[in-house]
Amino acid sequence: MLSPVVECVVAFVFGSVAGLLMQRSRFCNTAALRDAIMFKTYRNTKAMLVAMMILTVGFTGFMSLGAGHPLRFDVGLNTFAGLFLFGIGMVLAGACTVSTWVKTGEGNLGALWALIFTFVGMFLFSVVWSASWWPPAPQSMTGQINVPALQLGFANAQTLQEKLGVPAIVFGLVQTALLFALYRGIVKRERAQHTEHEKHQQEHQKKKAAKAAVQAAAATQDR
Amino acid sequence: MEFFRKTLDPIIALAALAVLNIFMFLLMGAWTVGGGETMMTGLAAQAVLGEDINRLPFWNIVFPPQLDYWKIYISLGMLFGAFVGAVLSKEFYWRVPRHLSEWILITIGGLLMGFGIRLAYICNVSTFFGLMPEMNMGGYLAMSGIIAGAWVGSLIYKKILEA
Repeated sequence: MLSPVVECVVAFVFGSVAGLLMQRSRFCNTAALRDAIMFKTYRNTKAMLVAMMILTVGFTGFMSLGAGHPLRFDVGLNTFAGLFLFGIGMVLAGACTVSTWVKTGEGNLGALWALIFTFVGMFLFSVVWSASWWPPAPQSMTGQINVPALQLGFANAQTLQEKLGVPAIVFGLVQTALLFALYRGIVKRERAQHTEHEKHQQEHQKKKAAKAAVQAAAATQDR
Repeated sequence: MEFFRKTLDPIIALAALAVLNIFMFLLMGAWTVGGGETMMTGLAAQAVLGEDINRLPFWNIVFPPQLDYWKIYISLGMLFGAFVGAVLSKEFYWRVPRHLSEWILITIGGLLMGFGIRLAYICNVSTFFGLMPEMNMGGYLAMSGIIAGAWVGSLIYKKILEA
């Protein structure tokens, strides 16, 4: 175990590199989803898929060896509902939590405003939770299906490995293959869009040339 | 330096980040955002409310505010790294949304994001770069949620653009 101070230093270094790379590449998670849905462009979506493939192999690979620190908490209806609200929010705000920090660092006051209201939203939730006590606090999570609390419990590649006796990496490779299939599908689609676009442009140019020829002919006749 | 003149290919940026994220997974845990922000909210609430914060058990039971929580420093690092990148590539300037409608959308969006993160216990970064690669069941739930949400959000956004 690292001391908390060392952890904070490692986190800060990681965060700084992440902020720098995202500022320079203009990667945005919101754009990765929104642009694919609204505009059928996939610049960010492809980058996200590549990262997910590398991470799936890395994480499940180390998890097979019992290394690493996977997240551990129960999930359930709140996981879906929370990210559903988040998904609406990020499209309306035009940025997710990461890009609000990155854009704030570039001097975007709108992003800072989004960040402040993210904090306000979190505080509002703390008020609601203090009245409802749902979803269950980490201390009362059971890891098992808990119907009254609308919880599905806890499962990941490691629990699969323990239950089925198959190394976590095997599941990881299956997921990576699926992600790769999705990636290839997107690349194919982009190529199709590209050829379509070129065809349009060629037709447009042909029409333009024909028009110019007619005009030129008319001009010579006039003379 | 070339790095600060040209836009970096996001695939290269994200591949590099993924490798670093694996190192952090081995040391402490995968890249997450949201926990740090919650701590900051808690610390701010503590500073403003003082003893009164004890009337909200959330801050005793789920997230007792503490300064040495590593996830805070991921977020501060991102702010710092982006600032350095923007200054060195001469892209730092104050940007202010012009229309009132933009401010309203940002406000609503921010509130929904903050509330949603806490309700789910995770945000979009841990969904795609933590839970999904760990093949956590929550990752698939969260991904379905965020895609559905982004779709509904896009519909609302289109309606507003048309209006």
